[in-house]
Amino acid sequence: MSTTAHKVATQAAARTAKTTGKRPPSVLREIVYGMSLGLFAGYLWKLHHWNNQRRTREFYSLLDQGKITVVADEPPSGAGD
Amino acid sequence: MILRSLECRFLTIALCDAAEPWQLGSQDAATPMMQGIIDLHHDIFFFLILILVFVSRMLVRALWHFNEQTNPIPQRIVHGTTIEIIRTIFPSVIPLFIAIPSFALLYSMDGVLVDPAITIKAIGHQWRASTQPYEYSDYNSSDEQSLTFDSYTIPEDDPELGQSRLLEVDNRVVVPAKTHLRMIVTPADVPHSWAVPSSGVKCDAVPGRSNLTSISVQREGVYYGQCSEICGTNHAFTPIVVEAVTLKDYADWVSNQLILQTN
Repeated sequence: MSTTAHKVATQAAARTAKTTGKRPPSVLREIVYGMSLGLFAGYLWKLHHWNNQRRTREFYSLLDQGKITVVADEPPSGAGD
Repeated sequence: MILRSLECRFLTIALCDAAEPWQLGSQDAATPMMQGIIDLHHDIFFFLILILVFVSRMLVRALWHFNEQTNPIPQRIVHGTTIEIIRTIFPSVIPLFIAIPSFALLYSMDGVLVDPAITIKAIGHQWRASTQPYEYSDYNSSDEQSLTFDSYTIPEDDPELGQSRLLEVDNRVVVPAKTHLRMIVTPADVPHSWAVPSSGVKCDAVPGRSNLTSISVQREGVYYGQCSEICGTNHAFTPIVVEAVTLKDYADWVSNQLILQTN
């Protein structure tokens, strides 16, 4: 519940903000900015996830084609003795 | 891109299939199940980041605006029906988006679509130098005994060069790659848990019960795990090592094991 004095003060503050060019804080604007920033950060994470998926697919594709291997060669007998 | 640029060379890739010091993320997936788990984690993490950034920004901006010089007159908002409806419905939609891939993965893990080719039984023991005997009941030696072997941990003061401390065993669980396996896990004494993170497997060994899990390792390699249910003094010294090999190498290994067992 806002009193008359509060209403007058709020209107005065709005006029001051208009003359000085500074916008008063707005809950809706902050929510929109926050959601946009959150969605952008989530998009960056998704890029990382899709990149990981692509690298995994590439890895298994090359493995199936025989172009890479995960089996290390046995050292020649007598080495390291 | 790195792999493609090197595909003209015969390249050996080393993956993370054991616990690493200061490790932050999961081990590399070796089975479709683990890949599904990692993908689900990434899906949920998207919402975590969204909420973290949004809430952090709102907190910081609220503190930023709370300034006597720039905003001397605070707003007197006591309620707002529209925003209250939005802030109730929107957060309740997020768990719905999380639940869909979560249930899809959960039910796909339970469903056994392909008949497993091999059945391996892991029997948890305690107080016998941390053994985890394994039984391959599909194969019998000439005296009708199943292929069984113990798997003792390599003591801390006895490793060879290149072996991981407290993760190695003398006899690994050898399995063929790209083959559906059935693991039956049961204990001989107290509860244990057979866990191999890179395979996405953690199956509790509950006394009086045989639990079943399916694995299909997609690439050759050596995968390390540890007992994951407190089972006594040597609980921390009960490693599990699974070695996935080609089908031919697996057949050779089974033959050798049966010959050794017969002798």
